[in-house]
Amino acid sequence: MKAAARYRRLNWAGQAPLLTLVILCAVTALLNDRFISPLNLTNILVQSSIMAVIAMGMTFVVIGGGFDLSVGSTVALAGCVAGMAMLKAGIIAGVIAGIAAGILVGLANGLVVAVVGVNPFIATLGSMVLVRGIVFIITGGAPVSGEDGLPSAFVAFGNSRLFGIHYLVWVPALLLVALSVVLHLTPYGRRVYATGGGREAAYLSGIPVAQIVASTYVWCGALAGVAGVMLAARLQSGQPTAGEFYELTAIAAVVLGGASLHGGEGMLYKSIIGVFIMIVLGNSLNLLNVDSYWQRVAIGLVIIAAAAADRLRSRA
Amino acid sequence: MSETAAGAHGIRKRFGATLALDGVDFAVVAGEIHALVGENGAGKSTLVRILGGVHRPDQGTITIGGRERELASPHDAIAAGIVTIPQELQLVPALSIAENLALGDLPARRLFGAATLVDRARMREDARAQLAAFQFAPDPDLPVRGLGFAEQQIVAIAKALRRNCRVLVLDEPTAALESREIARLFAILARLKAQGTAIVYVSHRLEEIVELADRCTVLRDGRVAALACRGEFGTADLIQAMTGRAAAQRAQTRTAPGKVLVEDVGARPDAISLRAGEVIGLAGLLGSGAERVLQRLFGLVREGIVARVGDRARRLKNPSAAIDSGIGMVPRSRRLGLIMNQSVADNILLPSLGRLHRAGLVDRRAGRRLVAELMELLDIRPRRPELKVRALSGGNQQKVILAKWLARRVEVLLLDEPTQGIDIAAKQQIHALLRDFAARGGGVLLASTDLSELTRLCDAVLALRHGRIASRIDRSDGSERIEEERLHAAIVA
Repeated sequence: MKAAARYRRLNWAGQAPLLTLVILCAVTALLNDRFISPLNLTNILVQSSIMAVIAMGMTFVVIGGGFDLSVGSTVALAGCVAGMAMLKAGIIAGVIAGIAAGILVGLANGLVVAVVGVNPFIATLGSMVLVRGIVFIITGGAPVSGEDGLPSAFVAFGNSRLFGIHYLVWVPALLLVALSVVLHLTPYGRRVYATGGGREAAYLSGIPVAQIVASTYVWCGALAGVAGVMLAARLQSGQPTAGEFYELTAIAAVVLGGASLHGGEGMLYKSIIGVFIMIVLGNSLNLLNVDSYWQRVAIGLVIIAAAAADRLRSRA
Repeated sequence: MSETAAGAHGIRKRFGATLALDGVDFAVVAGEIHALVGENGAGKSTLVRILGGVHRPDQGTITIGGRERELASPHDAIAAGIVTIPQELQLVPALSIAENLALGDLPARRLFGAATLVDRARMREDARAQLAAFQFAPDPDLPVRGLGFAEQQIVAIAKALRRNCRVLVLDEPTAALESREIARLFAILARLKAQGTAIVYVSHRLEEIVELADRCTVLRDGRVAALACRGEFGTADLIQAMTGRAAAQRAQTRTAPGKVLVEDVGARPDAISLRAGEVIGLAGLLGSGAERVLQRLFGLVREGIVARVGDRARRLKNPSAAIDSGIGMVPRSRRLGLIMNQSVADNILLPSLGRLHRAGLVDRRAGRRLVAELMELLDIRPRRPELKVRALSGGNQQKVILAKWLARRVEVLLLDEPTQGIDIAAKQQIHALLRDFAARGGGVLLASTDLSELTRLCDAVLALRHGRIASRIDRSDGSERIEEERLHAAIVA
C-alpha cells in the first residue's frame, strides 16, 4: 500500500513537464481566447515541428552524457546544401545531400568528442562557428533559391497538409515513434543510456563507449540535417543565417523535458513537451502583448527555474 | 569511568517508510575507543550522521560534556567538538597539505594595516609541527592529491585535531588501508586515546574491533543489540549479536582443478594461469601489483595482452574482448561496476544485451525472467528489479555486479576487494557463491587485502611483491584453510 503510494508520487514527479505545459496552455487560454483558435494552434504545431526534430537529436547526445552547440549552424548548412543540390539534381538528391551534410557534421563532432576526447562544450562551440563559416563560403552569404525558386513539389511539402495536418508535423510524429523504439527497445538504445549513466562502468561491462558516444552526435547531426531540409521547404529557400540560437532553444527544451545534463536520463517525448513549452511560452507572451525584450527575460527565467526545480527534486 | 564525552539518548529517526533508529542509546567517554558495528542498514551510518549534525533525530537528545546540545548542522557538531572523518576524506586534492590543514582558519597577516594576506610561512610551520606528532614529515607545500590514501587520512585526522576535538568519529577508516598502515593508524588512535580524546570507531572488520575497542555497541535493525566491554566479546559473539543467529559454519565442497580456463602467455613475472574449479587469491601490499594482474586479464592495459583462453590464443585488448572470452570483472569501487542511476534489472542485463534480442529488439520477457532468477539465487533484497541500484545497500549492490556476470555466463571471475565495506552476512553469501561458482567449473581470481578472507576462501594464494609473484602458498592437503601466518610472512618478507 505504502509502496504503491510512493510509486504514484514518483510518476507524478516525472510528469512535471507535461503539467507545466497544461497549466501554461490553460492560463494563456483564459487570458486570451485567440490562443485556442485553430489558426493559432496550427501555428504552434508547425513552429514546434522543426525544433522538435532538433530536440530529439539533442536528446540522444544529452542521454549519452554530451552536449551539442552546433545544431543551429548544421540546420543552415543542411538547408543550403539541400537547396543547391536540389537545383542541380532534383528533390530527392537535395534531401539526401542535406541530411548527409548533417551526418557529416555529427560524425566530425563525434570523433572529436569521443575519440580525441575534447570537452563537448568546446568541441561543438568550435564546430558551431566553423560550420556557419562554411555555410557563408558555399553560399556567398546569399539565400539559395535559384532563379525560379526551389522545385514546387518541395515547397508544397513545406506548406501543405496530409489528413488536415501539415507535412512538417508528420515528420517529428513519425520520427518520435521510430526513435523511441530505437532508444527503449533495442540493445543499442539501452547502451546509450548506460554509457551516459556511467561511462567507466559501461566500459567495464563491455560496451564500446567511444562508438556509442560518437553515434549520438551522428544522430544529432542527422536530425539537425532533417530539420534544415524542413526549414528550407518552409522558407522556400536555403537561408545561410537560418537556425541561429536554435541550439539554445533545443538544449533548453531537453532540460525542460527532464533530461539530466549529467547523462543517462531523458525521454524523447518529454523533450518534445519541452519544445512545446518553449514555443507556447513565446506564443503566449506574444498574444499577451509582452514586450519582446521582456520575453527574453521571461524565457530565461523559465529555463533556470526548470533546472532549479530538477535539482531540488533530486536532492529531496 | 571518566566523564561522558558525547551521548545519544533514546534516538529515533525515520526516513520515509523505514525506521532507521528506534530508541538508540549510545555514549562514548573521554579516553576510550568505542566501536560501533552492525550489518548494513542496522543504523550505524544514521547514528554517525546524527552525531555529526548531518541528520536531526525525530526524537531523543544529544549531550556533549554532560549538557544537552542541538546539532542542527555539521558546523554545529564541529563547534561542539565532534569531528567525523568519513570514508571519502573531505580534503581539497589540489590544495597543499598546509592549506588543507589550515582551511577554515587560515593564519592571516596584515599588509599596510588594511588588506590581509595568508601568512604562508606560519601555515607551513604549523603544518610541520602538527604532522610531526604523527611521525609524518612530508613537504607541506605538496598538493594533497599526491599523497596515498593512508597519508591523506593522517592529514584529515590532524586537521580534525586542530579544532577543539573532544570526539573523533571514524567511519570505516581501515577499509582502504594495508596492514602496515593499519598498524600505524592504531598507534595514532592509541595516542589520542591516552590524551583523552573519545573515539567512535565504525568498522565491518570484526577482528580489528576485538583487538582495538574498549567497548563495543552492536546495532541491529535500528536498536542496540548488545553493549560489551573489552575482553567480554570475540568475533563470533559480535556476528551473533549483529545477525541474531550463530555464525554459520561453512560446509565447503572442494573440487579438483580441471582444464586451464585462462592463461596469460606473456613471459612476465606476474603472468598467471587459472584452472576450472579453482579459487586463486592475490595478496600483497599496496603497489604490489595484485590489481594489475586483474587489469591485464580484463584487457585494461594499453597494449592489450595475448592470453590462452580454453584452447585458443585470444588478444584481450579491451574489456569487451575479455568478456567475449568469458571473463567478468568485479572492480574495487562499486561505482565502476554499476550504473548507479539505473535499475537493478538494467544493470544485470547490461553485459548480456548483445545476446538477449529478437529481431533487433531487446527480448524483455527473457530478460525479466533471467533477472528474477538471479535475484532469487543471489538473494538480492529487496526483490524489486525496477529499483535504482543506488538505493541498495553495499552488499546487495555487490551481488548485482555478480549477477551481471552470472547472467552473461562467464567462466572466469576477476574480483578486486569484493567484500570491502559490506556486512558480514552478505560477505558470507558472496563467499559461498564464489565457491559454488568454482565448484560448477568456473575459475575465480581474487585480490584482497583481507588475509582472513583469502585464507578461508582460496585453494591457493599468490603473494605479489613489486609486480612479481614472490611465492605461491597452497592449502595443505586435507586442511580447511591456508594458514594465515604463512601468508602474512610471504607478503611482508
